[in-house]
Amino acid sequence: MTKNPPCIRHLLAGAAMIGALGAIRVPAAAADALTTGAPPGLNLSAPGIAWAGFVQPRQPNYEIARTFNDYSNPPSGIGPVSDDPAHPFANNEVAREMRVPSTYRVADLNNAAGRNLMPWVREALMKQNALALQGRNGEPREPRCWETGVPTFHLNPGQMHVIQTPKQVVLFLTGRIRHIWLNVPHSANPKPSWYGESVGHYEGDTLVVDTIGFNDKTFVDSYRTPHTDKLHVVERFRLIDGGNTLEVAFTVEDPGAFYQPWSGTRNRHRVVNANNKPGEFDCPESNGDYYNIGLEPIPTAQKIDF
Amino acid sequence: MKVCVCGVGLSLMLAGAAVSAACAAQEIAGTYWAMSYSPKIQVLGGGEPPLNAAGKVAYEANQKGLKDGSVVDKARHVCLPDGVPRVLETPYPFEIFQVPVDHVTFVYEMNHQTRVIFMDKPLPTLDSVVGDPRYNGHSVGHWEGDTLVVESTGFAFNTFLDASGLPHGDEMTTVERIRKVGNQLEDVITIHDLEMYARDWQARFVYDERDDVRVEDYACNDTHRDLSGVKGVQGH
Repeated sequence: MTKNPPCIRHLLAGAAMIGALGAIRVPAAAADALTTGAPPGLNLSAPGIAWAGFVQPRQPNYEIARTFNDYSNPPSGIGPVSDDPAHPFANNEVAREMRVPSTYRVADLNNAAGRNLMPWVREALMKQNALALQGRNGEPREPRCWETGVPTFHLNPGQMHVIQTPKQVVLFLTGRIRHIWLNVPHSANPKPSWYGESVGHYEGDTLVVDTIGFNDKTFVDSYRTPHTDKLHVVERFRLIDGGNTLEVAFTVEDPGAFYQPWSGTRNRHRVVNANNKPGEFDCPESNGDYYNIGLEPIPTAQKIDF
Repeated sequence: MKVCVCGVGLSLMLAGAAVSAACAAQEIAGTYWAMSYSPKIQVLGGGEPPLNAAGKVAYEANQKGLKDGSVVDKARHVCLPDGVPRVLETPYPFEIFQVPVDHVTFVYEMNHQTRVIFMDKPLPTLDSVVGDPRYNGHSVGHWEGDTLVVESTGFAFNTFLDASGLPHGDEMTTVERIRKVGNQLEDVITIHDLEMYARDWQARFVYDERDDVRVEDYACNDTHRDLSGVKGVQGH
């Protein structure tokens, strides 16, 4: 059995040899760029690298724990829907670190984000708030195994893996997958889908992603804020904090759901582990409503395609 | 001097040194789509899978259960991953990536399954992965000439080898030999599972390269792409 070493090693060895001869050096970053197409300042897919939505602080920290599975507000302008001050939300991490009971989300419908909701959206959230206050259907859709959509995709606190090629960027998170097609225009009539049609390009060291063509079956946050098929999301991915944090700043517009565009951010943190790899979608393995608390059913095929 | 760059078809001149796609035969990145489907796995060389006595009992139980509803095909009803080799029979497109350089990653449209092949690493021992079984197993790979050789172990117990309910044991291991043949991709898999089979046996899967196709989103309760071009799919 003959094992050929990965050819990239040949490239690096060749580059080193050329360098030794006084010719051009090909640094490792350039070698990566040959295969990923990524700018040197936004190489998200190096071996063993993943991007965690949450890293547990050494000491309990409410402000950090709050970011476990939530967007952060933008520097200015209308932000995402947030919790009602009368019913502050305590996610599982807040509950664990602060030793308080966890709660279900109750949306604030009276702040700027709440007033930005069109009446049908506001009504949907009022109904959801009422359910949550009764202790029913309080979970977001993701743990019920539904596809999350955009920008909700980013909320999962787990590790995101990225593959970058010159044609495509692929995002993997808890068994869910998004495809971003690079340097191409949108299709004339994209088929409505869960993650929409994402096209992207690099602006310097920032990946700019424009997504349309959504179905209307997802929510744009964990409060279950609905949207229409007119949803349009622009995301800007860049590295900050010396390359240790991936910032995703996004703007959401939907003339059928929100009076004005709104924005948010979600940061992910660089984690290194040689055994890192995207996980499998095992969510449907065990997801019954065991405690009869009004959880919605997990997606189940009504008929088999083939 | 020639040096090769896997995964890209580049040809560059650097200071008089030719950097070319000398390992082009190892490039399998791309989008592929099977043009035929069989609910029952087709054994290479013909005949039936060589079930042993325990395998026959398990297969009959699976078939009976699938028929009367006491056994649920979760890969189809709630869209859990198929497992190997059933995932190789998918009638939906899939994509192969060869970056990062230490991985080969298979992304399947159906059930948005991912298989990651770690390159040039030893196959984990069964003991080391038995507490972390994966539907599509733990896989490592290496190149033998133009062929990607993939070894897998540590499979989840609750999958079938095909849609008919063909069983496997906890200690099944597989070896796949994957290579490009013209504009097609060939995957010949060897099943080693003496708990359920009397001897090793093989199956062969062939896919057309389809760079005109984009892998799409897939959700269990949704309408999916048209499979009328895939021979053997029910209703087509």
